[in-house]
Amino acid sequence: MKRLMMFASVLAMTAAGLGVAGAAGLPGSFPGVTIDAKLIGGQQYEPLYARIAEWEKLTGAKVNIVSKKNGFDLDKEIKSDIASGTISWCVGWNHTSFAPQFTGLYTDLTPLVPADEIAKFVPANIKAATIGGKLEMLPRSQFDVSAIYYQKSLYADEGKKSAFKAKYGYDLTPPKTFKEFSDQAIFFSNPPNFYGTQFVGKEEGITGRFYEILLANGGQFIDDKGTPAFNSDAGVAALDWFVNLYKAKAVPAGTTNYLWDDLGQGFASGTVAVNLDWPGWATFFNDPKSSKLSGNVGVAPQPTGAAGRHGGWSGTHGFSVTEACTHKDAAASLIWWLTNDDSQKIEAANGSLPSRTAVWDWDLQQAEKDPYKKEVLTAFLESAKTAFPVPPIAEWIEISNVVYPELQAAILGDKTSKQALDTAADKATKVLQDAGKL
Amino acid sequence: MQPPRLSTPILLLTPAIIVLCAVVALPLLLSLYSSFTGFRLIRPESIWLWINFRNYQNVLTDSVFWVAFGRTVLLLTLALNLEMLLGLGLALLIERATHGQRVLRTLLMFPMMFSPILVGFQFKFMFNDNVGLINNALQSLGITQTPIPWLIDGGLAFFAILVAEIWSSTSVFAILILAGLLAMPREPLEAAKVDGCTPWQSFRYVTWPFVMPFAYIAMTIRSLDVARAYDIVKIMTDGGPARRTELLWTLVGRTAYSDGKMGLANAMGYVSILLSIVFTVYFYRKLAAARAQIAAEW
Repeated sequence: MKRLMMFASVLAMTAAGLGVAGAAGLPGSFPGVTIDAKLIGGQQYEPLYARIAEWEKLTGAKVNIVSKKNGFDLDKEIKSDIASGTISWCVGWNHTSFAPQFTGLYTDLTPLVPADEIAKFVPANIKAATIGGKLEMLPRSQFDVSAIYYQKSLYADEGKKSAFKAKYGYDLTPPKTFKEFSDQAIFFSNPPNFYGTQFVGKEEGITGRFYEILLANGGQFIDDKGTPAFNSDAGVAALDWFVNLYKAKAVPAGTTNYLWDDLGQGFASGTVAVNLDWPGWATFFNDPKSSKLSGNVGVAPQPTGAAGRHGGWSGTHGFSVTEACTHKDAAASLIWWLTNDDSQKIEAANGSLPSRTAVWDWDLQQAEKDPYKKEVLTAFLESAKTAFPVPPIAEWIEISNVVYPELQAAILGDKTSKQALDTAADKATKVLQDAGKL
Repeated sequence: MQPPRLSTPILLLTPAIIVLCAVVALPLLLSLYSSFTGFRLIRPESIWLWINFRNYQNVLTDSVFWVAFGRTVLLLTLALNLEMLLGLGLALLIERATHGQRVLRTLLMFPMMFSPILVGFQFKFMFNDNVGLINNALQSLGITQTPIPWLIDGGLAFFAILVAEIWSSTSVFAILILAGLLAMPREPLEAAKVDGCTPWQSFRYVTWPFVMPFAYIAMTIRSLDVARAYDIVKIMTDGGPARRTELLWTLVGRTAYSDGKMGLANAMGYVSILLSIVFTVYFYRKLAAARAQIAAEW
């Protein structure tokens, strides 16, 4: 009997040691604790949030989602919370583009998450999540870099191939440069029923895209002295790319009001030929329930700019724990849960790029059986090789807020590209001066 | 020595004074103070950084602010006048209705029951260049072949916002003017008829002077509403693209919450309040003049 008891306790200890998700001490037990969370909202994130109920069951804690908005609106809300001193919530969605501005808001996760768990993440993602020596977020399976989604049937159409070659003098294949991208977008356009492409036209969405084409053209956003330098020839060429597409009616007239969801839904509706977009849409675009293009989606890596460099504006989503949180251990457990192998597999299965090494291996294995997934992963892996983050300054979003109305002004024809960029550079310089950086 | 005793009226008013101080006076003073500081949302300690009139200097020399200011005045002028004309027309028509006047009055109030945010979404969808009802109707009727970028072109977007504002608030004018019409004695109109006045003369010299105070009350209420227009514009265009539809309060909102410059935004707010004060004083003067005129004539 004694031996049986001992066997039972060893078995129980082994089960507890392995944990339901296989990490020592995680997810832990927090009966009666309620964690308030502010999360990014969007169709592609819901499968992950469905796993919160399981964490609640395992830990005895409750999660109260106090806010679920798009990233830009959540950013504004968090700023208001900081000002009013109402940081009563524990877990917040975070992003490498937004994180540098929130000094002191989020706690260092190093003491809260076992080192062997942190070691399971891709080192580059952990580096991007570390601000001023503090690990401020656990990266989720949302490493974002864009690639080209295109309608395969358009590129297989013999009539279009010969017409394109006759007009532009080179073969119609998925674009390898931004110049080819705009040629093809203009060629395919047949407004108002069909557009060559589309782009996000406001907030950081357009500033980021401009930034990536600027760098691909050999320009700099901020020079070595820390001064805005995007009003260069490379900058003008980058902005002209948007202006020319708009003038040629190769994008919907409303594109300057679009955000990411508009792009995703637009391409899935089958009315757009080529679309630079994030990996998280890959499954959505090929799913007959959500997309008219199921079976007709091709994916190609980022094009190159005039300098021969690939575009590759990138960022990583993550979750952070606030300094003000009274149950940091429970909050850390929740964000570990949302970024662990099982969670990342769910997100990766929908097309997003993982931030854990083991999930990358699993994802590549899955892709062997699925030609579309293989094509997606190959394209995004290629794009990820040349990816670069936004300038690591706290004022990035504020600078973006003064730059994007000027980019819009040029696109809509209110100013020339040079005038718009000169004004934007003056305003960005003022932002940096006000912040004491210049 | 006994402590001084407060009089009963002051004692009774004290709770109201405390509440008013807490919810009106204190926030006003705090925002006025912060307009002289470099207060940034993400740096709460910056509220102690006193920068004198720098925020006001920035506001007064910022062309973006003045363009938004001018556009707000234009919206105010057009919206108020058109709402007044349409409201007057509706009120006159309803007053003439011999059957179902109560039903018509209830129907008239329907737009007022919608939240401005919902009105914004509704009109954003209607004016959408791609899937909007307006473009679909125009294309189906063969009036245009290409979609009209309603919310992109500066003039058209302004027009779309104006339509949304007018749709949601014309009934304020209609209801108040109708109240005036219903309260009006019949004798002067009948006397005018006997004297051989045309319908236009009856309206111009009898009806209009009587309902004018009601129209000015509606104008005063609505001038404050339009001068602080935010919700409908925020949803329909968010002041964009390229600041083509930027109004004072979308600019203030963006400065405060996107850029996090609360001190600067408060300075903009205080300059903008002048606009509301000017309009309010103007309409109150008009109202007083109208009442004096009625008192003299009747």
